[in-house]
Amino acid sequence: MSTLKARKRQQLALLLGPVTLFLGIFLLLPLAIMVVYSFLMPGLYGGVEWTYYPHNYGRILGFADPEFEVFDPVYLSIFARSVKIALITVALTLLVCYPAAFQIAALPDRWKNFALFLITLPFFASLIVRLFIWVLILRPTGFINETLGALGLIDRPLDLLYTEGAVILGMVYIYIPFMFLPLYASVEKLDWTLIRASQDLGAGAFDTFRRIILPLTLPGIAGGCIIVFIPALGNFIVPAVLGGAKSMMLGNLIEQQFLAARNWPFGSALAMLVMAVVLVLLFIAIRQERADQPGSGHA
Amino acid sequence: MFRHLGTKALLAFTVLFFAFIYVPIALIVIYSFNSDPVNMMRWSGFTLDWYRQILGLRNAASEAALYIETTEQLLAAVKNSFIVAFATTAISTVLGTSAAIALYRHPFAAQRFYRVLLFVPMLMPDIVLGIALLIFFVGIGGQLGLGTIITGQTTFLTSYVFIVVSARLAGMDRSLEQASADLGASEWTTFRRILIPQLMPGILGGALLAFIISMDDLVITYFISGTNTQTLPIYIFGMLRRGIKPEVNALAVMMLVFSFAIAFAGLYLRNRKR
Repeated sequence: MSTLKARKRQQLALLLGPVTLFLGIFLLLPLAIMVVYSFLMPGLYGGVEWTYYPHNYGRILGFADPEFEVFDPVYLSIFARSVKIALITVALTLLVCYPAAFQIAALPDRWKNFALFLITLPFFASLIVRLFIWVLILRPTGFINETLGALGLIDRPLDLLYTEGAVILGMVYIYIPFMFLPLYASVEKLDWTLIRASQDLGAGAFDTFRRIILPLTLPGIAGGCIIVFIPALGNFIVPAVLGGAKSMMLGNLIEQQFLAARNWPFGSALAMLVMAVVLVLLFIAIRQERADQPGSGHA
Repeated sequence: MFRHLGTKALLAFTVLFFAFIYVPIALIVIYSFNSDPVNMMRWSGFTLDWYRQILGLRNAASEAALYIETTEQLLAAVKNSFIVAFATTAISTVLGTSAAIALYRHPFAAQRFYRVLLFVPMLMPDIVLGIALLIFFVGIGGQLGLGTIITGQTTFLTSYVFIVVSARLAGMDRSLEQASADLGASEWTTFRRILIPQLMPGILGGALLAFIISMDDLVITYFISGTNTQTLPIYIFGMLRRGIKPEVNALAVMMLVFSFAIAFAGLYLRNRKR
């Protein structure tokens, strides 16, 4: 009997050993080093000094190193802008996907599968290519300006590209599938007999929506919002391609610290800030999910 | 009456929804054949020059306006992308599949830990993993290049494979395995002849997903690729930052066709399996 157990253990080690080793070295260790870096003093010519230095966080949160600078809320405002852009992206994708999910769920099977395929298809296309499309559409000699100009509606090109609006548009475009799929999963599961019952009992459309449809699709809404918010918050590709100097986000700031300013500890501290927001969100989401499923036991 | 109007409005909205996704794509496909070299969105005639130039087939017209950096650079980027994608797919498929099987077959104490560990890379913003890997690779004195790109991408691709294979395992019929064991097959035989074939669609699906994500990864690769190694997304990102040329448009359309072809192939395989 004990040999059987030993064999099982051996199998388990064989199956899990490589992945444990790999993720331990190339995921957990780098993350741990990043945490340490965020508390180290930046060296004069890049690199770090191995002394404890809380002012990386201080530069962001209000206790900058008095030897070098006075506190400037510029980093806080970039943080606030990133949160704002990510939230607007979440709201817009939700607004666009929610009605579409209902329509698609109501289609006959053949059409439904085709529609779902069309929504997931862009996920296969390169992200950078999908953003490039919007550069061609929005720039001064882009499709919109050329069309409006040819129609005689504008005298000179509108400033569409390199704006915050362009960044939001790009984000909405790339995150639509992320929002749609979890939403759709809960819309499709919706029990329509409940809705009919509510209507039969005399509830108006708004009441039925608020009391039946909304609560039942809430898990999908919450899931979609989180799945869009997390990558949107730290995104640096979209603002780098479609945004201008005034629409800089946390991701751009982090990239700068690593590849241009070479202040890695400060960059690490900024990344920790992004992680902190993400972790808080996930924590709330997991707790909520547990509260919603009392049948699954307590853990 | 109002209800009828509401249904119509919803349908119209959904049509617009798809238009928003696909009209931009249609536009760049159409205008990639536009011959105007400066004003790319003002139609002035049909041409295949930009495609010729991407493929390195020069002609008199393109010789005069040699916009694209060098075809060699592009080809090097394409080659790097394929090397990275094949290598990461192979490694992450093995790692992700073995982790999924281990967690399915042997319930054990640290299961929760592994599930969290394998979810972390998917839920973490790309940029955080990118800089953590950069600090690590530079810290251990590694030379940034193909090796670091492959290693770095594998850390998060493993999670994708794990999730796809786990889903397949969860829906699998265990009775076949038991029957095989009851009939006296060794564990290894059962593993090789029952578990793996049943699991194959999941493994292939996970591998395909890993391949596509690897080909497209920009953020993590951007931080750990160093100055001398470019993959295709990084090459295009660089071009976009320096200014837009008609050749980029042709290149973008070719990439779209390639990725859509993969998507269709995946769909075809899945439908055939049923």
